[in-house]
Amino acid sequence: MRNRVFLLFGSSVLAFSQFGQQNLAHKIDFPHDAPISLAGDEWGGSAATVRGGAYAIDVRVALSLRNASQRRIRGITLTVLAQEATPGGKGSISVPSLDVAPGETFSVRGDLHLLRPIGTGASPMVEVSLDGVLFDDLNFYGPDKLHSRRTMMVWELEARRDRQFFKALLDQSGRDGLQKEMLSSLARDGDRPQYGVQMVRGRATNTDGERDMQFAFLQFPDAPVEPMGGIAHIAGNEARAPKLVVHNRSPRVIRYLEMGWIVRDSQGHEFLAASLPSEMRLPPSSSSQILPDASLRFDSRTSVESMTGFVSSVEFNDGSMWIPSRTELDDPVLRRVVSPSPEEQRLVQIYRKRGITAVIDELKKF
Amino acid sequence: MRRLTHPLQSDLALYATGDLPLWRRPLLRLHVSGCDSCRSWVEAFSADRESLRALAAEMPTGVNWDRLAAEMSANVRVGLEAGECVAPRVRRPVLAAGWRVAAACAGVTALLVSAWWLNMPPAESVALGHVVQKIAQARPWHGGIRALEDAGPMVQVSAAGIQLQQNGGTLGMSQGQQRPVSVTLSVQGSARARYIDADTGQVTITGVYAQ
Repeated sequence: MRNRVFLLFGSSVLAFSQFGQQNLAHKIDFPHDAPISLAGDEWGGSAATVRGGAYAIDVRVALSLRNASQRRIRGITLTVLAQEATPGGKGSISVPSLDVAPGETFSVRGDLHLLRPIGTGASPMVEVSLDGVLFDDLNFYGPDKLHSRRTMMVWELEARRDRQFFKALLDQSGRDGLQKEMLSSLARDGDRPQYGVQMVRGRATNTDGERDMQFAFLQFPDAPVEPMGGIAHIAGNEARAPKLVVHNRSPRVIRYLEMGWIVRDSQGHEFLAASLPSEMRLPPSSSSQILPDASLRFDSRTSVESMTGFVSSVEFNDGSMWIPSRTELDDPVLRRVVSPSPEEQRLVQIYRKRGITAVIDELKKF
Repeated sequence: MRRLTHPLQSDLALYATGDLPLWRRPLLRLHVSGCDSCRSWVEAFSADRESLRALAAEMPTGVNWDRLAAEMSANVRVGLEAGECVAPRVRRPVLAAGWRVAAACAGVTALLVSAWWLNMPPAESVALGHVVQKIAQARPWHGGIRALEDAGPMVQVSAAGIQLQQNGGTLGMSQGQQRPVSVTLSVQGSARARYIDADTGQVTITGVYAQ
């Protein structure tokens, strides 16, 4: 009898051992005419673990890529796919602020956590493919399934704007002025609040005591779009169904708009809650509504006191883009809650690691 | 000269009726096949068995079997009662059938809990706990079904990075090892986390798409 109990226990332990980690199969698939080629890859630490009806996949990848084109690469986005249709089955790795000359190699590292349902294949697998490459002439190559052209274009425009700002500062105020700016950027980074926010599609779970709250807007005089009004339903620590009205005051057709959504709680804490992207076709001098189907849930102690919106990027019909200038971003609220550009963060890290001379050398490269 | 040893007659009888243990049958069959004497014994036992079976099949005339069975049962009871008068029977303590089932269930439960505790990832246990808690809070037996509707996976950003959650449990977090310098959430159902290589300053931005 005792032997049978041990046998049963052993079987149960074996049955549960399926929750252990499994090796992860992987595939790297770049088009034959891609402007990059694979020089090497490392997948150490990648694994799949069974979680209920899905594999929880840890992708730890380091790729060495070569610029196979004749132009300098400024940014790259790779798609990491475990399962297309599964929520959480798709991820991306982007590297902005690059400056890779033709024939040079560069590295792309990523550490992602994805999901893949059990049964969609014999073994857990991920596929890395190219979504897009942005060149120094702002031309783009790639399938752009993740709309990476737009995103990388914004990062590149921000990088050019910020390098120009730092160069001007260096010319006007010298090393000390630039160093002072680096230090103040470091200080802002340390003070920037990051609150937990959940995004849920559709209805909110808390509809008790719901009230409407108006958006306030930061006005950028040079922005091609002017926010006219906005409202969201607030219930406790949830905000849902935001509705915004925007007006195109430029002479060009707008096809994409992204707005920032800043929330202030009853204790005076302000933070960037989410971005509100919207595909549209907005002719000159016309208005349109933005109605994202989403609810945001904040920390349970957060009681929403006020909301502020601002235009963070605009894409015109010809593919060109508008971003706020450094002057427009020099608003006390924005400086406090909005992260600097990837390029500013890169330069600040270079300053932190190698000093102001290294930053000046870096600025001289462009 | 080697002396031939015949099997016991009791073994031959058991062999004839097919009651001999399986492991002894091949040896005995080998012997019977080469020994006329023993084979004749086996045939005789088989014939006797058939005769007895035929006789037993014929019920004597005038016997009411139901009545006979009732009398036999009554006689057994009387015998037991008479035995009680001489010395009480010692009963072995036996668990009732219900208790046996309960004990077996408790054992299996303990086994499963042990296996769970040893093997299940903590996130899975947390998710299960959230589901049970949600059911308890919603009290579907009181009509709280609406609260149990699954709103689908949620993207959460925090200072620690991006989390994908379902049913209150965390399905995973991107860049588990490193802390991002910033995270952004899009109402289109995606989130981005920005990381900086401390040595080179290279910026890497990872995105997760929940929709």
